[in-house]
Amino acid sequence: MLRDHFFSLLAFSALTALFFATLNHRDRRGFLLSVAKTLAWMVLGSLAFAYLMFWTGP
Amino acid sequence: MRPSFPRWKAYACALPTLLIPGLSHLCLGRKGRAAAFFAIVGATYAIGLHLSGALFPFDAPNWLYRLGGVAQAGLGLLYFGGRLAGWGALRPEAVTDVMFGYGSTFLVAAGLMNMLLIMDAFDIAVGRKE
Repeated sequence: MLRDHFFSLLAFSALTALFFATLNHRDRRGFLLSVAKTLAWMVLGSLAFAYLMFWTGP
Repeated sequence: MRPSFPRWKAYACALPTLLIPGLSHLCLGRKGRAAAFFAIVGATYAIGLHLSGALFPFDAPNWLYRLGGVAQAGLGLLYFGGRLAGWGALRPEAVTDVMFGYGSTFLVAAGLMNMLLIMDAFDIAVGRKE
């Protein structure tokens, strides 16, 4: 169950990162940097938010 | 290399994305990007449906669902065709599915991505973007 949640989060972050990198970057370096940054922020941010909800929940 | 069409032609170039994601970029000669956008938006849509996501109707009982429906309508043919085919129907058993929230989010994101593609194609067509 938890694995499904994590893989969904990962797939969503990857697709979004790829989309915005393709939309905004033409050079390979800029593309890869954009994917890495967006992916890292989305995954870490989502995990941080999830843990925050877990710790502050009932 | 930078196209600069009259405004009516730019609209005509931007809207085909509503039929197939990425079609506008293909019309503008961006073959690689068109293929990438088709794959990304298509995958987001397919995963959303696979995860029991709903294609929200405009007359859904919840205002948040109606707002989601507006975002998903950005998918154009995929949204209206999917609804006609009965995919992602807003049924009580679908709403209680544990992955419903994820699936619907994927579908909303796919609709918003497609809207951005329309605007991007328009910008390319009027010469605002390379």
